Amino acid sequence: MIIPIVLGVLSITFLISHIVPGDAAQLMAGPRATPEIIERIRRESGLDRPLYVQFGMYISELFKGDLGKSILTRRPVLADIVDYFPATFELTTVAMLFTVIVGIPLGIISAVHKDKILDQLSRLGSVIGVSMPIFWLGLLLMLFFYVRLGILPGPGRITGEPPAHITGLFILDSVLTGNWRALVDSLSHLVMPAFVLGYAVLARVVRMMRSSMLDVFSQDYIQTARAKGLREGSVIRKHALRNALIPTLTVIGLSYGELLGGAVATELIFAWPGMAHYVVGSMRTLDFPAVMGVTLVIALVYILVNLLVDISYAFIDPRIRY
Amino acid sequence: MLRRSLLVMLSVALVAAFSLTVLASSEDGVLVFGATGELRTLDPHVSVDNNAWRAIYYCYDRLVEFKLGTTELVPGLATSWDIADDGLTYTFHLREGIKFIDGTPFNAEAVKFNFDRLFAMGLAPAGTFGFVDKVEVVDDYAVNFVLKEAFIPGISSFATDQGCIVSPGVMEHDVAGDWGQDWLAEHSAGTGPFFVDEWTHGVRVVLARNDSYWGEPAKLEKVSIRYIPEAADLRMLLETGEVDIGEKLTVDQIEAMKGTSGITVFEAPSFCCHYVYMNCQRPYLNDVRVRQAISYAVNYDGIINDLWRGTATQMRGPIPVGLVGHDENVFQYQQDLEKARELLADAGYPGGGFTLKIMHAPVIPEWRPMALVIQEGLAEIGIKLEIESYAWATLRDKLNTGDFDMSHGYWTPDYADADMFTWYWFYSQNWGLAGNRSWYKNVVMDKLVTQSRIEVDPDKRLALFQGIQWISVGDAAYLYLLQANYQIVMRDWVKGYVYNPMLLNMPNFPGMYIEK
Repeated sequence: MIIPIVLGVLSITFLISHIVPGDAAQLMAGPRATPEIIERIRRESGLDRPLYVQFGMYISELFKGDLGKSILTRRPVLADIVDYFPATFELTTVAMLFTVIVGIPLGIISAVHKDKILDQLSRLGSVIGVSMPIFWLGLLLMLFFYVRLGILPGPGRITGEPPAHITGLFILDSVLTGNWRALVDSLSHLVMPAFVLGYAVLARVVRMMRSSMLDVFSQDYIQTARAKGLREGSVIRKHALRNALIPTLTVIGLSYGELLGGAVATELIFAWPGMAHYVVGSMRTLDFPAVMGVTLVIALVYILVNLLVDISYAFIDPRIRY
Repeated sequence: MLRRSLLVMLSVALVAAFSLTVLASSEDGVLVFGATGELRTLDPHVSVDNNAWRAIYYCYDRLVEFKLGTTELVPGLATSWDIADDGLTYTFHLREGIKFIDGTPFNAEAVKFNFDRLFAMGLAPAGTFGFVDKVEVVDDYAVNFVLKEAFIPGISSFATDQGCIVSPGVMEHDVAGDWGQDWLAEHSAGTGPFFVDEWTHGVRVVLARNDSYWGEPAKLEKVSIRYIPEAADLRMLLETGEVDIGEKLTVDQIEAMKGTSGITVFEAPSFCCHYVYMNCQRPYLNDVRVRQAISYAVNYDGIINDLWRGTATQMRGPIPVGLVGHDENVFQYQQDLEKARELLADAGYPGGGFTLKIMHAPVIPEWRPMALVIQEGLAEIGIKLEIESYAWATLRDKLNTGDFDMSHGYWTPDYADADMFTWYWFYSQNWGLAGNRSWYKNVVMDKLVTQSRIEVDPDKRLALFQGIQWISVGDAAYLYLLQANYQIVMRDWVKGYVYNPMLLNMPNFPGMYIEK
């Protein structure tokens, strides 16, 4: 399944990026380049070939593991992605963890206290989360916690020296190198952007968790468990939670794509050095090898996360076997 | 149980947050520059981007340099230079005893290597030296540039970023005949007062002082150029002092920051001109009277005082104030609707009654409101102006193929010579993106702009430029709107900043320092 999906995504992206009017060679060459320079660049980048030949060339290079060279940076696209992707991955993953760690308990609390004040509050919070624009929320939080109170750091991924480069994931690299200053620094920089990014998805997780818990609560085996005198906590954890978790996990997996997309706005507002800037810059200049590379990576990550979600079903529900 | 674990989680988060207050603030000797644009490569023979030049420029020296704060040329790596009487050869006499940061000696061979590399790679910066035919080594410390034809303004090109002299040592990093491009994209190899110490993509570029610099050493130990894409963030960082100096902020943000204590807003006229191309090959616009009528219909004061809040100067012909050749007396259009209507009637369109289109791109946010003001002015004389917004790439494509009526545009010079605003804009061989974006042709003008490139006598050149300016205003191929002020915001503790209109976005890092 993975290969046809990826091929489909790639061919659509390729088509779109080539239909847009504009001359990539001209953009690359800069405003005052001579026609010879423009021609030369066009030839060297294969931009003078027919579209299907260009696509064929791209795919065959892709199978050799070569994503091509960015028209703009003249660096291999893969190298650019290796530079920018870890920041996006770190941000979206922390945001997702946040939605799981906060969203699932909140959903359970809502279900247990259905229609009581806690439930109402958590639903209100969710609605606010869904309806608040990332740009606005991000700026507001920064004005309050960074400029006003000064307890959280400002925009950026880190204030001091970045940790030594191993994976590009600052948290992991700081732990691996034992650089605790960088760890605190980068963790604290993650608080606001991860919250802002995760907040919108959080709402959906809470509501999904709540409704599936309520659904499970009405099942006979829960009544049985209660009837045999089990404590309520035990009923929730051992009997209800596992069954209610599966639909919620599916929603979380699907939302990961949304997080990757939403990361563009979050990254821009928090000066987060991820893929957003790279991809926005590339689109503006019709740097299609870069756009294609980013699309490929996002598609792959999305597929991978959903695969992981599918596998996790088996752990949660022993009746599911692959 | 659940509630308890939630409480624990929340308190952990709070403690982590509070621990932040102890994080280090910026050290003295390190200047933090906040930039809203990111560079893509550090190779001076590849880049034509001010955001890259900011980091590149002071890692290198050039044969000639701009005198601090002026467009005047002074010796750099060359101690002196001669231009042959026929204007066809430049000879540079080079400074002796200088080494590149990688230890390679600087000499005539090194200079020749640079231009070989520039031309062989044939990328955008090579265009700046398109007038050079070949480079000849005379002896160890003298080098000749033989030109294709006499080109007087060319000497100033050697002081631009494209004229940076790179160490021939980069060839040690050559991969498959790429002239060391992959390597130099990430490093520096010059003779300049700084070198690139670190580049964490998307985060920052750090320049460190070159302690073996041959000239006066830089005062700063390091310059950290932080990438902050969102202007609102940059403003916050400047206000808290985490960033010492930065650009670009919007006009509104700068206005708001002007009163803030501890913050200085520097402002001076730049050579960046915003103007409107009127496609002379299109119906209606192919009549000079229509173009003049449009020039009379625009509310220039409204654009400059209300939209730009007075941070710009109305252009007076094509050559901006501050550049040698600018004529203070050239005719300047002011809004005069009566005169505009007369001209339209004269052209056979009494009361207007036709429609034109104007393009802009959202990349420059000021353009749309400017288009609205122009639209309003044209409506007064009966011309309907439709505003169209295009992606940058599309807009440029349309300019290049002449597929437009009118379009917003801006221009900054590559070298410090009026030629940048005359030959490029008016020579009929430059139709399209090359520079003549009005698709304008006038045989007299063609003669004047080509003659001004080869005229050796400075006084005669000035006379030529004067003629060009008067004709250009009469022919009204462009709407001469405004010359933007350059603005940069810095903390009061930043000292030694000197503005140079030719080095826009490239502050004089070697002379700057911090005094807290």
